[in-house]
Amino acid sequence: MAKIDFRLNGTDISVDCDLSERLLDFLRTKAGNTGVKEGCGEGECGACAVLMEGRIINSCMMPMANVIHKNIVTIEGFAKTERFKILEKAFSETGGVQCGFCTPGMIIASESLLNSNPHPNDDEIKIGLSGNLCRCTGYNMIIDAVKLASKLGEGLW
Amino acid sequence: MVRQVMPTSLEEALELLENENFLLFAGGTDLMVQNRSWSETPVAFKKPVMYLGMLSELDYIRKEEDFLAIGAMTSLETILEHPDTPEIMKTIISEMASPGIRNLATLAGNIGNASPAGDSLVGLYLLDSMLVLKNHQGERLIRIHDFILGPRRTALKGNELISEIRIPHVDFSKTVFHKIGPRKADAISKLSFCGAYKLDQGIITDIRITFGAVYLTVVRDKELEQKMLCKTKPELLSMLDELAGDYDKLIQPIDDQRSSRVYRKQVALNLLKKFIREI
Amino acid sequence: MSDISKSINKVDNHEKISGKAKYVSDLFFAGQLYAYSIRSTIAKGIIKAKKVPMLPEGYQIVDYRDVPGNNYVKMIFDDQVVFPETNVTYIGEPIMLLIGPDKEEILALVKQIEIVYEAEEPLFAWTQSAIHYHFDKGEGNLPFARAKKIISYEYETGYQEQAYIEPQGMSGYLDEDKVTLYGSIQCPYYVKNALINCLGVSPNKIRVIQATVGGAFGGKEEFPSLIACQLAVAILKIQKPIKMIYEREEDIISTTKRHPAKIAIKAAIDKEGKISAIQAHVGINGGANIGLSGVVLSRAMIAATGAYTIDNLDIEGDVYLTNTVPNGAFRGFGAPQMLFAIEMFLEHIAKDLGVDPLTYRMQYLAKQNDLTSTSGTFRDPIVMPEMIKKAIEVSSFKEKAKLYQNNNLFRGIGMSFFLHGCGFTGSGEQNHIKAVVRLKKDEFDVVHILIAAVDMGQGVRTTMRKLVAKVLGIGIEQVTYNLPDTDFVPDSGPTVASRTMMIVGGLVARCAKKLKDNWQKSREQICEEVYKQPEYVKWNEDKMQGDAYPAYSWGVNVVEVEVDNDTFVVTPKHIWSVYDLGKAIDERVVLGQADGGIAQGIAYGYLEVMEIETGKIRQKNLTDYIIPTASDMPPMETYIFDNPYALGPYGAKGVGELTLVGGAPAIAKAIEMAIKHKVTKIPATPEYIMELINHGKN
Repeated sequence: MAKIDFRLNGTDISVDCDLSERLLDFLRTKAGNTGVKEGCGEGECGACAVLMEGRIINSCMMPMANVIHKNIVTIEGFAKTERFKILEKAFSETGGVQCGFCTPGMIIASESLLNSNPHPNDDEIKIGLSGNLCRCTGYNMIIDAVKLASKLGEGLW
Repeated sequence: MVRQVMPTSLEEALELLENENFLLFAGGTDLMVQNRSWSETPVAFKKPVMYLGMLSELDYIRKEEDFLAIGAMTSLETILEHPDTPEIMKTIISEMASPGIRNLATLAGNIGNASPAGDSLVGLYLLDSMLVLKNHQGERLIRIHDFILGPRRTALKGNELISEIRIPHVDFSKTVFHKIGPRKADAISKLSFCGAYKLDQGIITDIRITFGAVYLTVVRDKELEQKMLCKTKPELLSMLDELAGDYDKLIQPIDDQRSSRVYRKQVALNLLKKFIREI
Repeated sequence: MSDISKSINKVDNHEKISGKAKYVSDLFFAGQLYAYSIRSTIAKGIIKAKKVPMLPEGYQIVDYRDVPGNNYVKMIFDDQVVFPETNVTYIGEPIMLLIGPDKEEILALVKQIEIVYEAEEPLFAWTQSAIHYHFDKGEGNLPFARAKKIISYEYETGYQEQAYIEPQGMSGYLDEDKVTLYGSIQCPYYVKNALINCLGVSPNKIRVIQATVGGAFGGKEEFPSLIACQLAVAILKIQKPIKMIYEREEDIISTTKRHPAKIAIKAAIDKEGKISAIQAHVGINGGANIGLSGVVLSRAMIAATGAYTIDNLDIEGDVYLTNTVPNGAFRGFGAPQMLFAIEMFLEHIAKDLGVDPLTYRMQYLAKQNDLTSTSGTFRDPIVMPEMIKKAIEVSSFKEKAKLYQNNNLFRGIGMSFFLHGCGFTGSGEQNHIKAVVRLKKDEFDVVHILIAAVDMGQGVRTTMRKLVAKVLGIGIEQVTYNLPDTDFVPDSGPTVASRTMMIVGGLVARCAKKLKDNWQKSREQICEEVYKQPEYVKWNEDKMQGDAYPAYSWGVNVVEVEVDNDTFVVTPKHIWSVYDLGKAIDERVVLGQADGGIAQGIAYGYLEVMEIETGKIRQKNLTDYIIPTASDMPPMETYIFDNPYALGPYGAKGVGELTLVGGAPAIAKAIEMAIKHKVTKIPATPEYIMELINHGKN
């Protein structure tokens, strides 16, 4: 066991965990962040995506050892922001949500993308979402959502 | 539960390595999959683990006079975004895994994993990259093709770690990378091809070709490249079948859950011919 | 009065986008234990011994000895055990559960458990037929005797894994003496009925509640009943809450997949070059048990002539049992396999006769009042000619086909025609399901929809509320529709077979109309409707004759591809789809289903590979089993034609499966045009394409 100090959703915390505990499991079972999902456990589907220093990472690939001193934001934390409201509006308008299991990960991927590229073209959006699998939507409505969010959120990113 | 350590400095890491063999955990994106356990249980490492995440002194990219120096803990995404990273490496990295993985994974890790399908390796071999291996006593320089010995086997000694990757500065007229995966993104290569040449007044002054995932290690043959040097394009075209025959002997892929031997070989040779045809 | 098709904001958007929606693995019950499935490592054999170490306090094995009722999972064909007693029949078959409070401890104990088998010779060849069906139409195969020419082909389709992003799982507890289960499921009452059977308890001792479902596609239709039975047996034995969530690999290797098929078709061609009869044999691999394979075979055979009318048919089919993972429901349910075969067959006949395939196929398009494959009638108007015209226009099909066929551009464009029978086959609704729906209006005049239909992403939580709101002329916020809980909703049937809006929605709309006509402000009112099969639907189950379905939805898919002539990699460039699904209850919901369906449909045709070698699945995780990413999707356009069905709410027919079933033949035809070789197998991978081209050169 070790003491892991890091920032979770804007709050500095200090927790006791095994260094090899997955960040995903910590978030879901100890921090109550069940919005972070497990779809494959092997870094393939992106349903477990969270932001680390504003960039998308797969939390199933992250041992708590590597979380020390990092700034982690989950969908729960991001949902409190203005940017989230824009993304929510966009995803709702374009029909980018069906079963919803990939959705928190898609939102995180969208934020990570827009954070570094506020006006992505279609190809850049596809690359930004390439690590998030969706089986329901065929992706196009999600791509449209990111485009729309970029437009609606002018100035926010 | 295995022993786990998290040194806060390179010096501390090297000291620990003197006395014990550790699994070196950089970004860990391969190790987390290889050692995965049941959901909500810790990762099931089979050997003591050294987490290198606190070694921020190894997170850098510096343009030196003759080479680009990349610290072992630099993420693939950082390398991708850096202006001094050679174009061919950017192309290769951009097709590796996904953004989420690239933000965690390191080049050192991809090298240390020594998978026959490791994408970065085809570029690193082509560019004659070097590695700096450090241990408590000092450091040594080793060429990448001397470092990787076979699938999942490297020349890393028990008390060493990769501290830096050095990519020599080279000018090419054109570089080409083809990753043949089962889909357009987020995939392990069925095979890959990397080619680069320099054309000076119609004469080839430098030509390099590497293949990935078609043998135990990356395929590169400097003797064959010598054969192509100082030739014109028409001369190379006339040698096409001969060259294909030469490379045919070196390309020995396997059948697995991703693709077949027959496909990998034929497509690898097709890409070679395409590369030469398009000079 | 605004058109019902006009889209509204889906009612569950916020909870899903914000991460608040609770899927079964998000539920935590105090004192919950975990279940680990110990699985067979051989494809066929007898369990000689189960060597289990001394288990610490709190850890227990649950196996066949603990099943209080009948040790089988009640499904269509009852040949799947809850826990095997002595015989194992496929690699990955769950033999027993190890239950305990700490997962690491469970793993340590599992390492010490050994199952001793006496291995038997497994069967992988398709030789043991467990179900054989046959039907004729018209003169059957008689025209073959006088045919000028006989053209025959064999087609093969592969496995397809549903790959819902949320793996399967259930969690539950004992509420006094009532087993209460939450699950990622499509059919709460299938689960409840299976539990009644294996626990041997009365219905009021079982409660099944749907958690938010992260995708299903048929994979959570019948399979969850197995998880439920095992879990419920454990909960009843141990009397504590237990959580059982499958790992992804576990899910891939052991849950039901789309049946692989081998379809041999022959056509008798008369002297005018017309098809006078078709004879076909449809073989599907059921895996280790039958389950609902008979129904899949049935639907496949009924789809033998797809969107065409052929007067004389002789159609036979077999379900083969092999020692591999049992196969089951997957969106399309037998139709995708058959539609691939018949669509390619008509194309290949035309090419062999030297005729333009599009022109050739058009002459056989089914028309209103034609006899269906099973000698029922296409009673309703069919607008396929207009739909095809639209598809040709928006895709520039004819110009592109001409260009691509006459040049070596390695590009192709393919068009598929198809239909999907809506609802259960034949008299299933009337004889087996007997759907009941209920509307309850409380004294605040809020109307509660009480049905067992599950929203698995297809938007029924929104569309059903929208429907009721519109019929009643009230705001949607005055209508509720909670996740189905068998304690509160009647059995309106399973969420399958594209029946939810057409059948269940139809009943709900009738109920709403009754409520509207009798509305009493501020009084509690309950209204119920029971399904009554329309008079005109006449089906003979034994002979497979008559009206297999009450209604049909129709579709056209056009796919354009580019094939790389060095790597044989296929790049879809554009997709156009035209659908007649009666009436869209919400246009954006339908367009979303269309996008997702065609993505799965074309991927079935060119991308998704699953191979089994000596009973072991080679592609057992999401790294190796390839589904499309965002980067793989081309631009897609969908056009919806209104063609209201009299008995569907606002004219709605079935949607869910229609949008998947035509994708594979469309992309296969496009690839065929690009490489100038006939495609007879899917998935048409680069490896297969290379083989076709190499073979053709010889």
